[in-house]
Amino acid sequence: MKPTAGGQYRPLTDEGIRKIHDSAMTLLSEIGVEVHSKLAFETFQKHKAVCDPSKNLVKVSRSMVEDAIARAPKKVVLCGREEKHDLYCEGKNVHMGTGGTVLNVIDLETGVKRPTTLKDVRDIARLCDALENVHFMVLPVYPNDLPPEDVDLNRFHSSILNCSKHLMGGIYTLQGTLDIIRMAERIAGSPQALRERPFVSFITCVVSPLKMDDIYGDILYHIAKAGMPVAIPAEPLTGATAPVTIAGLLAGLHAETLSGVVLTQLVNPGTPVLYACTATSTDLRTMGYVSGSVEMGLINAGAAAMAQYLNLPNYTTAGMSDAKVVDAQNGYEKAVTDVLVALSGSNFIHDAAGLVEFASTASYKQYVIDNEIIGMAMRAVRGIEVTDDTIALDAYRRVGPGGNFLADPHTILWMRREHYLPKLSDRQLRINWEKAGSPTVEEKAVAAAKRILKEHKPLGLSGELKDSLRAQFPGIRP
Amino acid sequence: MELLEKISEELQNGNFIDVPKLTQEALVQGISPAVILSDALVAGMDVVGEKFRRDELFMPEVLIAAKAMQAAMTVLRPKLIETGVETAGTIVIGTVQEDLHDIGKNLVGMLFEGAGYQVIDLGVGVASGRFVEAVRTHKPDIVGLSSLLTTTMPRMREVIESLVEAGLRGSVKVMVGGAPVTEKFARDIGADGYSPDAASAVEKARTLKP
Ligand code: B12
Repeated sequence: MKPTAGGQYRPLTDEGIRKIHDSAMTLLSEIGVEVHSKLAFETFQKHKAVCDPSKNLVKVSRSMVEDAIARAPKKVVLCGREEKHDLYCEGKNVHMGTGGTVLNVIDLETGVKRPTTLKDVRDIARLCDALENVHFMVLPVYPNDLPPEDVDLNRFHSSILNCSKHLMGGIYTLQGTLDIIRMAERIAGSPQALRERPFVSFITCVVSPLKMDDIYGDILYHIAKAGMPVAIPAEPLTGATAPVTIAGLLAGLHAETLSGVVLTQLVNPGTPVLYACTATSTDLRTMGYVSGSVEMGLINAGAAAMAQYLNLPNYTTAGMSDAKVVDAQNGYEKAVTDVLVALSGSNFIHDAAGLVEFASTASYKQYVIDNEIIGMAMRAVRGIEVTDDTIALDAYRRVGPGGNFLADPHTILWMRREHYLPKLSDRQLRINWEKAGSPTVEEKAVAAAKRILKEHKPLGLSGELKDSLRAQFPGIRP
Repeated sequence: MELLEKISEELQNGNFIDVPKLTQEALVQGISPAVILSDALVAGMDVVGEKFRRDELFMPEVLIAAKAMQAAMTVLRPKLIETGVETAGTIVIGTVQEDLHDIGKNLVGMLFEGAGYQVIDLGVGVASGRFVEAVRTHKPDIVGLSSLLTTTMPRMREVIESLVEAGLRGSVKVMVGGAPVTEKFARDIGADGYSPDAASAVEKARTLKP
């Protein structure tokens, strides 16, 4: 896939960006980060950060941050198992895909919300494999039917079998993470081959405000050691774990995700790392987490701008909704945030497909609908191409005053490339729409999802490789 | 009385600096602790609650008023106990082991403070043993457990079982909450109460009084 670059929308001025960056440096060097992971703490200590073991506090100087940024790759290629799915995370290239990890799904047959199982991990992976505008898959659901110790490996294994796009996932245990890496090395052919074309990657987190957890700190340490790609999001929420103001939140977010970036580069210089943001706002009435606010779009577009300032590949969030059903709110929240963040030129926009209800529930039909919204957003990112060919003076000459372009060769040549043709939107005359049974977007999406699940054949793995993985990892479910 | 009205008003403004001072002044003036509690503090919080329900106030405004309430209660509580007035009670609250989500738990804790409870917050990633220990030391009326992850929800059952084993289950009510927790789950693990949000948690707690 040829990358599409955005960056037309900039919610921050150059001066604003510098001010936020400087403030984040003050946060890191003056207040510091509470680091509860022993491995992470010792790493900071070894590299002469100002550490106070009695408070688990690490103060990171501006020069430490600058060194880390200098070492971190400016380009991270997140590969698919097929090259056409490779994601060039650099500059202002835009890719959009799914997010998670959620516990419930709106069932495709019954339309009722129920807990997710390993079968959903499989089916959603297959669905996302087929949806052309979903560029990657962040593993979306949690298999409630498995014991916790088998979750990590099976989530990745089932996804690999059903989706050949890049797979990024949250993880729950260190052992699970290490098993996933070993499994992926087997599939790639060798540890070296996996590092050259990493088709899996990980998400850890920094806790806002300014805190690195022990388990996730340890896991981050080991991922960096292993040289695997990792996104280190912080999820500050306005007024709850960050100031209520967006600039204040961005300063904290910037400091938090950079503290993770610094750790990875101290552990293993050159570790492919994504500056990452899952921040959003809260509802003032309840202080509850909300996912579809316009501020969420501003925040994530702002985060992309902050990452671009440092030339760091970045991961952000958009395209979520707080609506429980497919309704107008669902559509406008997803569309507005998708467009804002996509136009900001963020490299890896997750959560943009399949989620409803505060990004807490997956929905089969929603994947199909969001595929459409992403398609439109990505068309906006591509912008207006201006060349002699697109201005088409020759076509004007052929057509002349009062003619038409309906069957002109220029129309035939350019129409597919220039126009996004939605599959779900209704553009029929009312009379024809009524004759067709007055179908709604929702009904069409359900039908499309059912058809894909019935017909789509993913790349999968060879029988031999599957068997040998089973032998090596007995926890893998059939 | 003017002073009580002033306390109520400043409480509604969330003035957590002056409210405890004014409460102290009221005590010095010889106003009974019970009257200060009911006519100034609880009266003030009632207005806040009412305005919140009418969308005139937002949650942060309720929480800062709760903070003022809590500050006043540190002054008032010893006097209430001396005079034998029953206070709202004590709640031990924490997020269960291996779970570090605490925004919801903190919010619930702050609203309990606003309702005049003494809140003992054990923090996040709290092992069953620490809950048991805290119940033994603080003899709370309620233990509040928070969990936001499916993987940590079973820890809530563990805490309840540990309380049974320690012979403390009968002395305390257990409330559970967190986004994935449901009424049914709460019943299944033998909790006494569940509430889906902070605002209804305090109301629920009031119905649980032994
Ligand atoms: C913020 C957040 C985080 C922050 C937490 C920051 C913090 N200081 O708490 C961070 C980034 C650290 C985080 C980390 C993770 N998170 Co998280 N997180 C959330 C998020 C977005 C919001 C939670 C929140 O604060 N809500 C706002 C508060 C006000 O609401 P609340 O917590 O529900 O509390 C209310 C009620 O539930 C109730 N209540 C709560 N507790 C109690 C207690 C009692 C006694 C009572 C009566 C009531 C009550 O009252 C509260 C106020 O109204 C949720 C998504 C969601 N929609 O819930 C995911 C979510 C909970 N996280 C999730 C996950 C997966 C994780 C991670 C595992 C991610 C990863 N792979 O790295 C880690 C786990 C870390 C750990 N070991 O705990 C999943 C859980 C799914 C699952 N499989 O179980 C969720 C649901 C997101 C999702 N996409 O589905 N997370």
